[in-house]
Amino acid sequence: MDGTRGTLKSLPITAVLSITALLAAACGSTNTSSNGGMAPNAQQILRTNSATEPNSFDPGQMTYDYENLIGRNVFETLLKPKPDLTDVEGAAASSYDVSSDGLTYTFHLRPNARWSDGQPLRAQDFLYGYQRLLDPSLAAGYVDPFFDTTIAGGANYGNIDPKNTAAVQSFIQGLGLSAPDDHTFVIKLAQPAGYFKWVAALSAGAPIRKDLVGSRYTSWASNPAGIVSNGMFKISEEVPKDHVTLVPNPYYWGPKPHIQKWNDYFIADANQAFSKYQTGELDALQVPLGTQDAVNADPKLKSQQHRYLSLGIFYLTPNLQVSPFNNVHVREAIAHAIDRDTLVNSVAKGQYVARQTYIPQGMIGYTPSLGSAQNYDPAKGKAALQASGLPTSAYDKIKLLTRATSTNQLINQYLLNQINLNLGVHWTLDVVDSKTVTDRIRKGNFQIYGPDGWGADYPDEQDFFDVYTTGACHGLNWGCPNNKTYDDIVGKGDAALKQSDRQRYYDQAAKMMEDQYWVAFLYNRYDVTLVKPYVQGITSTAIDESNYLPGDFNTNSIYIATH
Amino acid sequence: MAATAKGAPARGARLSLRPRKTRAANLAFYIVRRILWMIPVVLFVISITFVLMHLAPGSPWDRTGGRPLSKAVIDDLNVKYGLDKPLWNQFLLYVWNVAHFDFGLSYQYQNQTAAHVLLESWPATLTIGALAFVLIVPLGVALGVIAALRQNSVIDYIAVGFSTFGASVPNFVIGILLIIVFSVEAYHLTGGSLFLPTGGFAVDEHLILPVITLSVLPVAYIARMARSSTLDVLRQDYVRTAWAKGLRERLVVLRHIVKNSLIPVVSTLGSIFALMVTGSVIVETVFAIPGIGRSFVVAVSSRDYPMILATTILFSVVIAVANLIIDLLYTVIDPRVRLG
Repeated sequence: MDGTRGTLKSLPITAVLSITALLAAACGSTNTSSNGGMAPNAQQILRTNSATEPNSFDPGQMTYDYENLIGRNVFETLLKPKPDLTDVEGAAASSYDVSSDGLTYTFHLRPNARWSDGQPLRAQDFLYGYQRLLDPSLAAGYVDPFFDTTIAGGANYGNIDPKNTAAVQSFIQGLGLSAPDDHTFVIKLAQPAGYFKWVAALSAGAPIRKDLVGSRYTSWASNPAGIVSNGMFKISEEVPKDHVTLVPNPYYWGPKPHIQKWNDYFIADANQAFSKYQTGELDALQVPLGTQDAVNADPKLKSQQHRYLSLGIFYLTPNLQVSPFNNVHVREAIAHAIDRDTLVNSVAKGQYVARQTYIPQGMIGYTPSLGSAQNYDPAKGKAALQASGLPTSAYDKIKLLTRATSTNQLINQYLLNQINLNLGVHWTLDVVDSKTVTDRIRKGNFQIYGPDGWGADYPDEQDFFDVYTTGACHGLNWGCPNNKTYDDIVGKGDAALKQSDRQRYYDQAAKMMEDQYWVAFLYNRYDVTLVKPYVQGITSTAIDESNYLPGDFNTNSIYIATH
Repeated sequence: MAATAKGAPARGARLSLRPRKTRAANLAFYIVRRILWMIPVVLFVISITFVLMHLAPGSPWDRTGGRPLSKAVIDDLNVKYGLDKPLWNQFLLYVWNVAHFDFGLSYQYQNQTAAHVLLESWPATLTIGALAFVLIVPLGVALGVIAALRQNSVIDYIAVGFSTFGASVPNFVIGILLIIVFSVEAYHLTGGSLFLPTGGFAVDEHLILPVITLSVLPVAYIARMARSSTLDVLRQDYVRTAWAKGLRERLVVLRHIVKNSLIPVVSTLGSIFALMVTGSVIVETVFAIPGIGRSFVVAVSSRDYPMILATTILFSVVIAVANLIIDLLYTVIDPRVRLG
């Protein structure tokens, strides 16, 4: 490779900066300890509630937030997001270089990084982890960011017969992945992708030890307590359907976590979890909408509330493939009919923030002015319906498809009332169980659906705009606008080398989306949690994996204060 | 066949293949026959469940949260779990595998067998259910019999009142109330020590609140039934005779009244036992018990076909066995009943 430093402006000093940052973090913790705030090790026990048991503890097979939380703390990927999300920083790799053509990423692994059994971490472990993730016979749920216009050779992923061993092996060996030596891992991309640094920070891209997987290719992680990992924690125990326990990995190269035992419970019932928090059996938990009133009414609980805006956006999605939503004016009418401020303040009890743009606040590319096209304006909404040229019967009795959850029904009843009141129509709710909803969306069997939306996998606009490309019709892109111009613009944005060029293309895409009312934007959400006051050292980010423990990306700074 | 050996039956004599008709042999035949009958029953249950679950819209790979799976991944998953084959093929394969005690891999808990997941969840349910069952029979019967013996007294009114309460208040309300009173409020009252745990499973005081919650409805049900059957028995001639003979009250009550009033109660115990040990979704959810009832509901809502089928098979076998045991119990309680 030509050694030119790539997208990260100050790459030559990245390593120094990240080490300095980590040292600073470590020193900070030491200071806190010395002022007498930190409880002794025996009391460094953290109890959280993920509500659901992970389906798998194999990082290659994790997809849900609550799984990724475990994955991220137990395994360490090449890079990780900085807490302020302005860039990535070194994790298992101390630094990385990008070739001048933006096609080759070279990761330099930390020579002192070790596995939880004391073995040194090698580039070959990342090579195997990535190859296995991209193996069609594994059918990894979170694989698409790794093959979709990213890693060279990956585009063919969907065409490989997973039962054809030879074809699978040939596909894997043909991927742009290599480990020239023990500490260098090289990834070649199919096209320049300025966002790839974020992909390399996704928890699915973890290293895996080939010698430990052996013949148990898909099931090597089915005994969680035996998993050898390279993160700051390791799994010490799992009680099925009850909890998983993490303890510090003694061989972790970086600052060791203060927490000596972390029990993550799988309590599904919000009332039960809330009771456990009140009786001191849990230290942190998510505050569902239904519990918000109880929290607001109790000054003590209210003072323990943590709120942080997550990188996501919720909207109503009309099906652009069917009448009347193939008519832009009808879509426009919906966007004007909803008083979002009342929705977020009264119905959502302050847990949401009104939004009218696709890119949420907190992300590069957030441009509030773009959303003015969707302002609340009932008169404009009615006028838009008139301008549609359609008879009233075409839009008078629409069914709003809703997932059968209490929160959705509460929000949707309000949305329905707004639309009926402000547009003079007679819409009804179509409340169906969640699986059926997904099935109907996949088949395009709906008129309008929501509220639902997109949450950031990583804080780069590409993660949002690729959702609305034609290839994802009725998959991620529920309403199927299927617009070739949009696809081209987004494709150019994805492949542009300069950030300013990418930004220009993405702004065009956003404008197209918002002007044509592909969706009616509604709100983004605060992740609201209750955290006991003695849980200190929390550094939360807008893309924290979970919504029940703020700061789950930086758990090594969390500690229990004397109480 | 020609009789050649000395002492063999004369030519033409019929050799009975059946052993002598003793009561024990009859019972053994009866049990064997009932067990064999379970095979078509289970097959029928599998067929119905298989059809119903495939009729339910949505596939196991339709996520209800988290990142939706791409089409390529869904196709690969279908191949991995054999869902790309025609339905009839999947059905026959499943039945063949079940015949070999292979219940397949759970879709939800990747790479774990359905049998393994099931056996992980059952002990908690079984412990709580069995404990509740042990509690409800004497409690319910005692309450019903005492109420009947003291009909229209304060005790009777209390018993009837409890039965009505237990039968009409949903157990999630009872469960939440118990948690609020004995865990949350007690915690505040004692200044921060836990009186009874809010939830979770362990074989200690964790069992108290869920067992009570689970027992309220069946105790109420059995008490009502025991009360009315005791009232019936009290009016029987043989009870009057017993009193007239001057038997002691304890003897009359236990030997003549309770034993006979138990017959209708026993007939319901099979289904109550099956209900107890197959888990209550509500109780397991409210108390965060890692049991089979909750896991069954999760399996259904996530379309985890192997888990759904394995759980249904287990439930049908448990119900069949419980009913068989109850039928056998009849013969003990009521000598008039003959099986075979």
